Order: sequence, then structure tokens, then C-alpha cells
Amino acid sequence: MQNKKTFMLLFALVLVLTTVLSACGSNKNAENNNKAGNTPSNGATEPGTTDGNAGTSEELVIKMLLVGGKPIDYDAVFGELNKKLKEKVNATVVAEFLDWADWTQKYPLKFAASEDFDIAYTANWAFYNDQALKGGFLELTDEMLSKNMPLTWESMPKVAWEQSKVNGKQYMVPNNNPEVTDKAVLIRDDLRKKYNLDPVNSPETFANYVKTVAANEKGINAYNAKAADGWKWHELDQILLEQQNEWNLVDYSMPLAYKLDDESGKVFNVYDTPEFKQLLAYYKDLADNNAWSKNVVSNKNDVWQDMKAGKTASYAHTLGTVAMNLAELRREQPGIELAIADLTPDKKKIAAISTQNGFAIHAPSKKAERALMVIDLLQNDREIHDLFMYGVAGTHFEAVGDDKFNATAGTPNYTGFSNWGANSPLNRKDASYPAEADAIAEAWQAKVYNFELETFVFNDANVKNEVANVGNVMLRYAIPLEYGLIKDIEKGQADLIKQLKAAGIDKLQQELQTQIDAILASK
Amino acid sequence: MNRRGFLGDVRKYKTLLLMLAPAVLFFLLFAYVPMAGIVLAFKQFNYNGGIFGSPWNGWDNFRFFFESGNAWMVTRNTALYNIAFIIVNNALQIGAAILLFEAVGKWFRKLTQTVMFLPYFISWVVVGAIAYNLFNYDVGTLNSILTAVGLEPVDVYNTPSYWPFILVLVSAWKALGYGSVMYLAAITGIDTEMYEAAEIDGANIFQRILHITIPNLYPTVIILVLLAIGNIFRGDFGMFYNMVGNNGLLFSSTDVIDTFVFRSLTTSNEIGLSAAAGFYQSVLGFATILLANYAVRKYDKDHALF
Repeated sequence: MQNKKTFMLLFALVLVLTTVLSACGSNKNAENNNKAGNTPSNGATEPGTTDGNAGTSEELVIKMLLVGGKPIDYDAVFGELNKKLKEKVNATVVAEFLDWADWTQKYPLKFAASEDFDIAYTANWAFYNDQALKGGFLELTDEMLSKNMPLTWESMPKVAWEQSKVNGKQYMVPNNNPEVTDKAVLIRDDLRKKYNLDPVNSPETFANYVKTVAANEKGINAYNAKAADGWKWHELDQILLEQQNEWNLVDYSMPLAYKLDDESGKVFNVYDTPEFKQLLAYYKDLADNNAWSKNVVSNKNDVWQDMKAGKTASYAHTLGTVAMNLAELRREQPGIELAIADLTPDKKKIAAISTQNGFAIHAPSKKAERALMVIDLLQNDREIHDLFMYGVAGTHFEAVGDDKFNATAGTPNYTGFSNWGANSPLNRKDASYPAEADAIAEAWQAKVYNFELETFVFNDANVKNEVANVGNVMLRYAIPLEYGLIKDIEKGQADLIKQLKAAGIDKLQQELQTQIDAILASK
Repeated sequence: MNRRGFLGDVRKYKTLLLMLAPAVLFFLLFAYVPMAGIVLAFKQFNYNGGIFGSPWNGWDNFRFFFESGNAWMVTRNTALYNIAFIIVNNALQIGAAILLFEAVGKWFRKLTQTVMFLPYFISWVVVGAIAYNLFNYDVGTLNSILTAVGLEPVDVYNTPSYWPFILVLVSAWKALGYGSVMYLAAITGIDTEMYEAAEIDGANIFQRILHITIPNLYPTVIILVLLAIGNIFRGDFGMFYNMVGNNGLLFSSTDVIDTFVFRSLTTSNEIGLSAAAGFYQSVLGFATILLANYAVRKYDKDHALF
């Protein structure tokens, strides 16, 4: 009896304490929230209350959130950078780096916890829409931009600003040097020559290449991918499904696309098309010929490292990346001959969207104006841009003229993180950048197709449950099917479509169509 | 009855209470205070509102979990795996503890214990990599051995039916050393006079184990199992994620609530939806532990947790 009484008493005590504590917590939270909620509007409506009109008399430390590993020579380079920034806008920057390994988990947390930082790297692939819709970024008005970023305001094309708006509001200073983001394949040209194969420039020649390599070269994966890192597509899909058929996938987290030249913007489920069926047969044929490992979806290795080690004979990535890979291998192992293969050379290309890279201001930041000034210089001041992008001249790069640089022994000590938000016409090109990549890029530029919906961004606020479930179905049913791990592809495809219906693809499609129709109607 | 009253009790047991304080504080700070965050399960989270200011959206956050048709499968997988882990691991740990206790030779005992304990310190990430190198179809150790002796290679990563066994085995391997230490401690605490008496009465070693060691272990077993049952609806994320990864072919037999939720929400990063799934697990876990405790109480009042 007594035991029970004491227990009840203790329990009551715990309850009371909990309530008290959580009440404290919530009060404090509410305060913080109010602060967080008000600051952006302060910053937006009354510029000058913080430091605006006072100019740059007060020295400020601007905190940046960047994605990628901290470069070895961070201190040296940022030391130099800060000297210049202090001179020009009386500010210094401190960067925090979120390692590539877990940035997707940490990045949203930084915002959710409302940590203290002013500038955040962001991109259409790095939570831009998501954070903008959740209120993580400060809205940037034309007035703020033109006043604090004179250089950028002048050189940035209007369309780049337009493209980076979310629901008609500006949250990002986009980069000003967009690349076409179509994908290409990197192949082992020495192996191709060894077996006297035709140059690889179409899906058929590529299939021929991988099948030949798979049949004749033991111990080499003819094609490889890091198939199951959360990416919901076969890594060749962008080339063989999207580029080949001239479709545009609205958002890679769902299988909905429209035809580039369809002015009505009619959305369809790509898994439920004859094109996809054909592609499945193509993939199945490759898989049955051992073009990739049976365990491709469990692959834990870095594909490019495997390729360098001679264990993989092809992989797909953006043109910029495969070109860098090519240059790297030419420097390090001249014996291995690689080539960039464009499998869809004649198809329409989608113009790069400016949100590919960019910088945004954290909503609660009190130093928004100075932060914008800093971004302005990072992007458009020759000296500062060089420092931020390439490091200290002579140590980390050697300037070649105004638009090129040579890599030095110090180059690897200042690279590998997302300084791309400052990409601009001032960018230098690696002098050893492969000429063939330039040629491909130029050819692509000529085939860029402009269409009404290119700046459209899907707002998934009403269909979050469906997006989550559809994504799950893609991982579970589409990926094994595309990598040829399911014996009966017809049944596999039927299963996939059935599961997508259960996951709510119809509702998703309807929502997307409604938003697209609204955009088209407004134009 | 108690005449000193509550304050008198506090004064009398102040040393004990002081010793208890860190634990109470720990749970208050890390278990009870964060519990207020549970409201997130019913909210549409945004930064301006934060945890308490965001707008309510009722049961909307739970829809993704139940409408997908996966809720039953992952809940079943989670519970079945945990039941298998509890039974297999505890049986093995008790067995190992008894063997260690009966083993002669101090050196042998210490060595065995150390070797058994070692896997406990290996991170799941590393275990996942080891497994990949063992089971890989093309270059894995297992298949190299199989083909070397003229057998057909097995495709472990594309065959869901192997995985329940692999996972139970790996879990047992990793938990063996740690768990057996607890049981060993319990066995060491058994009054040695009982063994001496049994020996004089002519009991052999098996009879001693069966009639003295095991009955004396009951309380420990019950407490450990009860504590484990509370977590029966929480999958060991580190284990499942690192062993299976995003291999969709294996999900039918390896997907647990935690991996399912992680996979569905890692890209959309909807805090509300994750909170809803966590809430669901907690409610189920709470109900199970109440039920289990009730069952134990029925059977023997002294052994119940509360």
C-alpha cells in the first residue's frame, strides 16, 4: 500500500515538473518564434534599422553555411578574402561546412533550429523551394537587391531573377553562369578501340559497347552506378528516358513529365508509356548481358573511384563533372584513355535554370544588407571572386589570362565545396578542360529549346503524403525493375503502376496539372 | 503508517535521493521535456511558427503512413524481428553466460569474453561493409568459396528470404558479449552455498544449472525482456539501414518502421510526418509494455516492473 502511495506521489511530482518545464520551454520558444517571425519583415520593410542607412560603419562578421567538406587551406584563403572584404564593405566572413556525407540531414536542421548564420548556399537540388516555402529564407525585394548589390543587379539577366522566384517572390541570389545540365556518359575509349567498336553516340552504340566490355573484360563492370543512395531513377534515365524523348520531368521525386513541345503542358506518368516499356526491355537486355553487377543496388563504392581504378568502364553524370573527371585522369594516369559520349546529340536541350546554384539569406539574419553586399563582391569583384572560387593566386591556381587558370599542386587543398553560388561571367576555366567537352557544350547550347514552363516550380504543400509515398514506391519497385533485377518486366511494370495508384499518383498528377494550367493561363 | 510525512521522508533519504537525482534529471531533460514536441505530429510545421506556433492539421500527418498500405507490413516486420531478436539473443546470452561461469581457467574465460564482446564495439556502418564484402555476388567471399568447391553462387542481395536469418544472426553476434555480461553478473550473485549443498546431495553439473542457475536468473530475464518489449515497435535503424540500404528488392522482408519512415521522408524532410510515425511507435510500444507487465503481474507479482 505504502509503496504504491509513494510511487503515485513521485509520479505526480514528475508530471508537475514536466508541465512546468515544458511550459517554460514553450514560452521561450514562442518568444523566439516571434522574433524569428518579425525579423524578416523588419529587414524587408524597414531597411536601415539595422545597418542599412548607416552604411558600413560598423564592422560585421557574416556567417556562411556552405555545403561540402572544409577545404584544407580554408584559413589561408579566407584570411586573404577577409582582408579584401574588410577593406571594401567592412565585413569578414566565417564559413561553416556541411560535409557531403550528411549535408542532406544537417542542412534542414540548421534552419529548423534557427541557428545563427546569415548566408546559406542553396540550389534547386539543395532544398531551395522547400526552405523558401517553409520560411527559411528572407524575401529579397528589388529595392534591397539594387541598393546593396549594384554589380550583380547590373550583370544578372532578368530571366535569371525570374527563374529563381518561388510563388512570385525572390529568395535567392542565383549564380550567373548557368550550364546546360543534361547528362553525358564517360566511357573507356581505349577499350572501345581495342574491340574495334563504332564511336559511342547513341543508345544502340552504347549498348553495344557495354555488352562487348561485359563479355570480354573479366573483373570490370561495364557500367556502374551508385544505384541506391536515395536517387529514385536509373542513372541513365535522364539520358535515355528524358533527353531521348524530349520530356521534362517536373520534379525528380515523382514520375510525372510533360513533352517539351506540348504547349498545353499535359502531364503524364512516365512509367505508363510505351517509351518506358521499350527502355525496360533495353535495360533488361543489358542486365542479362551482365552490363552491370547483380548487386548494383547495394553498391557501396564511389563509382568514379572505381572507374579510376579500372574496375568500371562507364558511368553517367553531368557534362561538367565528366569533363573534370576526364581532365583529372589525363593528369594522373595518361595511360587510360577516356571519352565523353553524348547519347542523345540531336535532341532538344533544356536551358539551364539559374537556381542550379545560388546564395540565400537566412530569414532571421540581422545582417541581411551587409550579407548581400558580400555576395555581390563574391560574385562580381574580380579579386574577391578569384579568391573565393580558386584560392590564393600562385598557391592554389595560376591565372592564365582573364578567363583561364592552370591547376597547381595546391589546387586540391582548396576545392570540393559549394562556392558555386558565386559562379559568374568572371569564372575561369581550367586550361586543361577537355576541348571535346567544350565542343559538346557548344553544340548543346545551339539546341537549347525555350518553353513556357521552364521556370515552373511545383509546390507540393497539398500533396506531401502522396509525394512521400510515391517516392517510396519508386525506390522499392521502379529501381529493381529498371536495373533488370525482376525477371518478368511486364508484370514488374504492371505492379509498379498498380502500387503508384495505391500511393496516390492520380491525386499528385491532378494537383500538378492544376498548377501548370494556372501558370499557362496567366501567361 | 508513515508519521514523518513526505518532507520527513525526503530528509531521511536525502543521500539516496541525491544519488537518484542525476537519473531523474536525465530523463526529465531528455525524455519528458522533449515529449511536448509530440504536438508536431498534428501540425503543419513551418519555421515562422516553430514547434508550438505552426498551424494544426489534425490527423493529416498520419495519412502517408496508413494510406500507403505499407503500415501493416512494416509494423509486422518490426515486431517479428524484435521478437526474434529478443528470444534468440537472450537464449544465446544466457547460454554463453552459463558456459563462461562454468568454464575453468581464468585466462580462457577472459579471452573468450573479450572475443565475444568485440563485435559490440563495431559500428553498423562497418558491419554493413563487411556483409557487403561477404555476400557480394561477383567478388564476395561467400561466393568465391562456393564456386571454388564447385557449387552454384548464391545471390544474397536479390533474395529476400535469406535476410531474416542473416539479420537475426548478425544481431545475435553483435549483442552476445554485452548481454552475457549482465547474465554473468546475475549468476555470480547467486549464493554459492546452494551449489555446495547441491554438490553434496550428488547433483551433477547439468542438474545444478537446470535447478539452481536458471531459476535464479528468472528475475533478471524478466526485467531485461520487459525492457526490450517496450521497444518492440522500434526497429534498430542503424542495423537495418546499413545492412539493407535502399535495396528495394529486399524491403518485403526487411523493411521496418524506422527505415520506411526515413526513406519516405529523408528527401521531403517533413518534420510533422516523421513525428507522426514516431508517435505511432510510441503508442504501440506503451500499450505493449503495459500488457506485458500486466501478464507478468498475473503470473508473479514480485517480478513485474510496476
